[in-house]
Amino acid sequence: MMNRNSRSAILLASPAIAWLLIFVALPCAFMLVMSFLTTGIFGIQFKFTWLNFSRMFDTSLYGFLLFKTFRIAIVTTLLTLLAAYPVALFLSSQRGAVKNVLLLLLFLPFWIGYVVRTFAWLPILGRTGLINQILLQLHIVSEPVEWLLYNEFAVYLGLVYVYLLFMVLPIFLAVDRIEPALYEAARDLGASRWKAFTRVTLPLSKPGVLSGSIMVFLLTFGAFVTPALLGGTSGIMYSNVIATQFFADNNWSFGSALSSVMTVVVIIFLITSGRFIGLRTIFLSRVEDRR
Amino acid sequence: MTTCTGQSRSEKTLLWAYAILVYLFLYAPVLTVIVLSFNDSHIVGLPLQGFTTRWFLVVFTRPELVAALGNSITLGILSATIGTALATLLALAYRRPFVGNGALFYLIIAPVILPSVVVGVILLVFFGLLKVPLSLWTTALVAHVTWVLPFAFLSLYPVTHRFDRSLEEAAGDLGATRAVVFRRIVFPLIRPGIIAAWLFAFSLSFDEFIRTLFLTGFERTLPVQFWYMIVESLSPEAPAMAVVIIVISVATSLAGAMLSRRSA
Repeated sequence: MMNRNSRSAILLASPAIAWLLIFVALPCAFMLVMSFLTTGIFGIQFKFTWLNFSRMFDTSLYGFLLFKTFRIAIVTTLLTLLAAYPVALFLSSQRGAVKNVLLLLLFLPFWIGYVVRTFAWLPILGRTGLINQILLQLHIVSEPVEWLLYNEFAVYLGLVYVYLLFMVLPIFLAVDRIEPALYEAARDLGASRWKAFTRVTLPLSKPGVLSGSIMVFLLTFGAFVTPALLGGTSGIMYSNVIATQFFADNNWSFGSALSSVMTVVVIIFLITSGRFIGLRTIFLSRVEDRR
Repeated sequence: MTTCTGQSRSEKTLLWAYAILVYLFLYAPVLTVIVLSFNDSHIVGLPLQGFTTRWFLVVFTRPELVAALGNSITLGILSATIGTALATLLALAYRRPFVGNGALFYLIIAPVILPSVVVGVILLVFFGLLKVPLSLWTTALVAHVTWVLPFAFLSLYPVTHRFDRSLEEAAGDLGATRAVVFRRIVFPLIRPGIIAAWLFAFSLSFDEFIRTLFLTGFERTLPVQFWYMIVESLSPEAPAMAVVIIVISVATSLAGAMLSRRSA
């Protein structure tokens, strides 16, 4: 019986399995092969070489960039966590229609694509932007300030802006599920509000914090649009350098090698974080809990 | 009434104040763009120089912008349809445990987990080595379906797990064939969820940018056209174009959210 079920399930899944094998698994293998080839002026040469990987160690540039991208992802994740936690608490403390409206208002800006949302910071931070206009009007500065844009600060701002919801939502869902009686019991037994929060609410919200942090880290680590639009030359990240190999330098094999390194870092990160929370829990927990 | 966060009055005020600041932070850039789209000025920025709707006229009359809008909508419809069809079968398969479902799950979410530039690279290299010429309707379509498929699956997974399995069993016991059970029982029950997933997939495809940048040939989608418009030279009609993109993505997402809420 189980066998027949299994067979019919696999039959149902087969179109999607075929699609994913052909357009995800196979291309990954192609990229890995490409990392060990050379791209010259006569196209791709099908001869095995370590050159693309050894080139990454010729200068400190690529190692530094990988480290910097990792650092930006970690710092953005922490900033987003700090910004999001109170929002999650706030939403969870609301009731009824107000809660629904506030949730909808939170989702709304995130339905707009990230290119548009990142672009929106240009007329705020730029020379003729909103902030400069306010500073000029208030006579705080006499000349528009230039340092608001095209640096790491602008990248952090843009990344927190673009990915905040991915942190607020899982924390909110975790906090919202906590039985109020647990908190009240702690209070009745004499715990201070702070103690009841740190000993009851905080630990019970851990799955949400972990899910949100993993999602924001992954998204930030692969960020391309935000550093390209707001970062200038000093805010450049790993994805931007990969893109350059394809759009400007036309060095597909070196670009593939850089992509392979990035993929390995992501896999190592997921294996490490998998010790605390699995991907299945992150993506499906709410459904599987209810069964 | 106390909540699990059990704030005192002053803490409550503090949380409200903080929340208002966060909402302002979320909305200020979007509202600025909307205001600037009506600004009668050749530079994208302040000061405001009077009201005009001419930038919208530019957006709707420049042939390459209209073409990009049409491309985005057609590509969105195609990829949402293919992606949702594949995802529906997949979600139905996941109703019962089957051999390899754990490993398959990682393959399904791989396009979400991998950095978007890496996904662009793997498909570009794949089609490059196979000598498939790049085009919006072949290579970019593949990238879009691959992008929306996991999300459609994740949004359909709860839908196919929610409804009462005994309805299906009862129909089967009464002699209905599998095809009839699907057509008369399963499909009507999951239909609102499928429509919601389709709208979600459409809005994801409509807003997709990086993968498209790697895989489209000469034709551009709206986000790609918008990208070149702001990186090459910040054209004065950029805010108006941003507003058009905002309206379409918010409208489809809102429709999807309302549908999935109603079917919940």
